[in-house]
Amino acid sequence: MSPPAVPADLSALLARIALRERAAFEPLYRATCAHLLGVAFRILNDRDRAEEVLQEAFMNVWHNAGSYRPDVATPMTWLINIVRNKAIDTLRSGKTERASTVALDDEAMAVAGDAALEPQRLLDDGLTKARIDGCMATLNPSQRQALALAYYRGMVHTDIAVALNAPVGTAKAWVRRGLDRLKDCLQAAGVGA
Amino acid sequence: MNYLQPERLDRLAREYVLGTLSGRARRRFERVLAASPAASMAVGTWQERFSVLAASVPPMQPREAAWHGLEQRLFPAPRQQPGGLGAWLGRLLSARSLGGALAGVLLCLAVLRLQPGLAGLEPTSEALPQSYVGLLSDAAGRPAVLASSLRHGHQLTVKLLQPVVVPADRVAQLWALPRDGSAPFPVGTVPDHGSATLSLPDSSEKLFFNVTRLAVTLEVAPAMAGASPGGPFVLIGPCVKLW
Repeated sequence: MSPPAVPADLSALLARIALRERAAFEPLYRATCAHLLGVAFRILNDRDRAEEVLQEAFMNVWHNAGSYRPDVATPMTWLINIVRNKAIDTLRSGKTERASTVALDDEAMAVAGDAALEPQRLLDDGLTKARIDGCMATLNPSQRQALALAYYRGMVHTDIAVALNAPVGTAKAWVRRGLDRLKDCLQAAGVGA
Repeated sequence: MNYLQPERLDRLAREYVLGTLSGRARRRFERVLAASPAASMAVGTWQERFSVLAASVPPMQPREAAWHGLEQRLFPAPRQQPGGLGAWLGRLLSARSLGGALAGVLLCLAVLRLQPGLAGLEPTSEALPQSYVGLLSDAAGRPAVLASSLRHGHQLTVKLLQPVVVPADRVAQLWALPRDGSAPFPVGTVPDHGSATLSLPDSSEKLFFNVTRLAVTLEVAPAMAGASPGGPFVLIGPCVKLW
């Protein structure tokens, strides 16, 4: 599971929320909001928008907790997916301008400052934590960068092509190659088979 | 195109979860996903794989205002005691505040009839036209939807007084509840904010003559004639004759 040692039993909280038990809602929010806001913020690069997405995601959780399937995904994975989808929709609906026009508060500066490097670093950290960094090292830097920009920044193939100065077809191939390798490495490591 | 061929499904699922599936293709796949357990499983598998990448994202504590805003949006009423006497009192209170809100609207209309100058209506000294007016409130008694229709008109105008939370896979269905307690009949769907004009299958007079209340349920699809509500009334309120 993504954040280490979450004390609350998120599955039990989700089950209670599905039964409209309000007392279960705040503990779920408190246990997961910081990680989820981090995910939304990486994509939107705007704290206000990210918090708005977080709110919308949790409204969705309140209304649709009954559709959570423990046999398909862990609670945190399910929640991350809701937040990422909302953040990606917000990003693509043009409601958020990216780094060039965002208000430059401290956090935005921190992200804008190494916009190109940060996703790469997050990817490296994630792969190291999962102990598949060695296996993933067979990807070339462009393939890794394409995967990192898609996942952490919510970029589509055309954005990646521009960011990495490559034709769209090449960007697509890089992403595909990265995904194939990720699947192989995780299967070899016995993670997320 | 067969979305469910396993290799194709896997490719779509991973690009969907990653986010590189975009635009119409993304929306199409979401529809497949809603109907196909195989697609859900493929997506779930990729979500778990990507959780390895999510693990390295630094947490960021939301401001407390985010929680308060969320609470406000989901549970706008002050907390009510659950169950028993508390719940009964809650219902009584909401019925009272609902009546109060309706009285407020009627008072405004009465004042405008008597003192049109207050709203800059001097040129029209006519009374307000004969109409049916409904005011729907939420469970906390807050007015949420104002519905109005000319007595002999074939349109119903709905105005949202506050946004209504409608999940993405639901529609807000408006129902008319007859005085004699017979089955509610569907009127149309209501947007989650702003206003809308609904076309009526007959004149207001014929449809609403015996209707004393209007209500909204959340349905998976707009109700057809003859259908009955598929869920609880999330909004309800009186429907009155304005003449």
